Amino acid sequence: MRAIVWLLFGALLSALLYPPQWYPQRLRFELAQWLGTPSYNVSSNQIEQDADMSDLERVCPDDLLGWRNAQIIEGVSIAATPSCVADNPYAIAAFVQGTNNVSMDTLMRAGLTPDALEKGADLDGDGDPDEIHIRLEIAELNGGSPDVLEPTAQYAIAPGITPGLWVFAPKTFGMATENFESNIAQAMLRSPSPSIRIEQGDRVFITLENTHYMPHTIHFHGVDHSYLRADGAGNDGVPMTSELPVQPGQSRTYELSPRTAGTAFYHCHVQPQAHILMGLQGMFIVEENRPNNTLQSMNIGAGQVRVRSVASREAYDQEYDLQYTDIDSKLNNIIQETNDPERIESWLHGGYNLTSARSNLFTVNGRAFPYTFRESLIVPKPDQHIRLRVLNAGTEGLALHTHGHKATATHLDGVAQNANVQVTRDVFWLASAQRVDLDLNTSNDGTHSYGSGVWMLHDHTGKGTTNDGIAPGGNMTAIVYDEFMDENGWPITQGENMAMFFSESFYRRDEFAAEQSYTLFSYLRIVAFGLALGLMLAGLTQLMLQILRGRNV
Amino acid sequence: MSKSVLWGLSVMGALACVPVGAQVDHSAHMHPEAEHAGHEMLFDKSGMVMNANSTVLPRGCEEISANITYTVRAGTDYAIEEAGRIFGYDQYDFQVPPCSKINVTFINEDQVRHQWMLHGLPRYLYPQGMFHLEASGGETVQGSFIVPEDDATYLVHCDVTQHMEKGMKAQFVVGKGSGTLWSIPGLSADFKFDSVSNRIASWLLFCSTISAFILLIFFAKKGFPTR
Ligand SMILES: [Cu+2]
Ligand SMILES: [Cu+2]
Repeated sequence: MRAIVWLLFGALLSALLYPPQWYPQRLRFELAQWLGTPSYNVSSNQIEQDADMSDLERVCPDDLLGWRNAQIIEGVSIAATPSCVADNPYAIAAFVQGTNNVSMDTLMRAGLTPDALEKGADLDGDGDPDEIHIRLEIAELNGGSPDVLEPTAQYAIAPGITPGLWVFAPKTFGMATENFESNIAQAMLRSPSPSIRIEQGDRVFITLENTHYMPHTIHFHGVDHSYLRADGAGNDGVPMTSELPVQPGQSRTYELSPRTAGTAFYHCHVQPQAHILMGLQGMFIVEENRPNNTLQSMNIGAGQVRVRSVASREAYDQEYDLQYTDIDSKLNNIIQETNDPERIESWLHGGYNLTSARSNLFTVNGRAFPYTFRESLIVPKPDQHIRLRVLNAGTEGLALHTHGHKATATHLDGVAQNANVQVTRDVFWLASAQRVDLDLNTSNDGTHSYGSGVWMLHDHTGKGTTNDGIAPGGNMTAIVYDEFMDENGWPITQGENMAMFFSESFYRRDEFAAEQSYTLFSYLRIVAFGLALGLMLAGLTQLMLQILRGRNV
Repeated sequence: MSKSVLWGLSVMGALACVPVGAQVDHSAHMHPEAEHAGHEMLFDKSGMVMNANSTVLPRGCEEISANITYTVRAGTDYAIEEAGRIFGYDQYDFQVPPCSKINVTFINEDQVRHQWMLHGLPRYLYPQGMFHLEASGGETVQGSFIVPEDDATYLVHCDVTQHMEKGMKAQFVVGKGSGTLWSIPGLSADFKFDSVSNRIASWLLFCSTISAFILLIFFAKKGFPTR
């Protein structure tokens, strides 16, 4: 008998305490007809929350070492950088002259080893070195550690966003971080892998010194290379058909002597569904053979080419390398979850499934907005021709839109297009691994350019302009006419204050906050409802037990 | 948290704050001080030796107490058989008396760069508080330094990205030392565990909780068994 009382009492209490948020609409309507509408109460989301501005970063870091300036180092004339963050000019000088041909002081300032990029004989006697030996290591950025909880050798693509990355890197010496107290990777270790620039006909050796804990190779996509090396070993970098991958601690030299010029692509070909997307991808540019054409054979972080080829100087006023890619942090962040390479390997092989994956981060030259504005602005003057070499190294298509301009595609996948049929348009679609060379003509003629200004340059696929779905972000950068640049390298704009985007909290994801419509009273009522439900269940259990034992109810 | 915090046991005295700019001039790492009296420096294709010092005594040391020579081999062949170890040294535990002179011959048996980098030395004598040997693939480099008089445990590692994390980490104990470091291969445990979730563990937890609950209800009804 007591069980029935408990049950009924519990049921009644539950009905009374049932949270009004969960009433059926119809019931709420009927109740309001009888009892009038409930009284107005202030929900907690109306309590004003101040935007957290405490984590704002400097928009433009100071150029303390004068790296942005035009300068001459080791006899190399290096152009000024218009954007606020510039590459190390000593490294640029060493990449032009060869690390074997510059002073120890320059190497020290560059942070490069003497054999990082060696230049030898002038084989065709036209005044520039044609024997090039490049050594590439593999660096892991934002990797895991058995000691510290946060990622090691950190490289933020945008404020607070540090996906795990593997990149080809020039051969550096000393610490991988800025100093012992810092966990930030030093400037030479960054995404994307450096653009490599050689001259048509050069005799090129590229040694992969595998400093990483996984096996890797290099495959030269779209660069003229023989399938076998002179000694009969494989030279294509494909583990299935050409040669075994380079094991950790081992090295391997690839040989090439490209007969044709063009914009191409190099990447690792081990588990290509994972390693390329981990960041082992870079631009490989073969320049036309010209006399006295000593090239800047590496461009750290791609972007502006500060020492240009003869052909580029003949036809263009500036040149930029633009490498687009996309990242799925579910793939890339696995290296932060475990320190065991075997577990990483098994995740890459059978755990992660690319066919059901979606990229959530989109970068140009290794950064996402707002960091793109620090180092990847295109800064023309009116009536110039700017050469943009564009690679889409990601898995998703790229719909590259130039606001205020219609550019002309002079080369597709490195092949020159007949001048009569070259396409001029304002959105260029690049499938995975495709390259296009664009002539950005800044003559204000209503087609090629609509005149001076700050014109956005971005992927028009929508998600490409977000950081994990939060806008503005992604691969957005801009074409900023000279007169719209301030002296620190920041565009003079008149819209939103862009300082607010330099904040980790801006790019932190929130769940859709249903909690915010609940007050403390609602929560207390839900607890009471839960207790009443429990009471009812206890009565029910008692009742069932009594029935089961055949006792008299 | 800077990466030195967990290594900090050994480097307490040396943690002066260094302002960090967006750009790092490598010459600042090594330049002006490298010309200090007694500092030998090597930098060529074979590798580098930084802040070597075989003559200047650290403060408080009256004389060189002992002359100790180590030959350290490095490479993937020396990685110990343990999850997460790919690179390694042939020894991970160095024990020396205070004020001793240490001569290290560092032999790199791999085809890629490795380092034997020691942190936490007094900065008045060793710029950046470090002594550094770096050998290109297949090369051997050699350098000496003199340790201070206090008991301390110093971190030795290779700072090529992920080499320390994957096994190139050792401890260098002067006198009684000042504690032990985490995750030294064969010596100490990892600080951090894999955060990948474990399905078996979750099921075990679930089943044990449910069985305890059922047993409790059962005995509460029937009365707990008595002797
Ligand atoms: Cu790979
Ligand atoms: Cu190493």
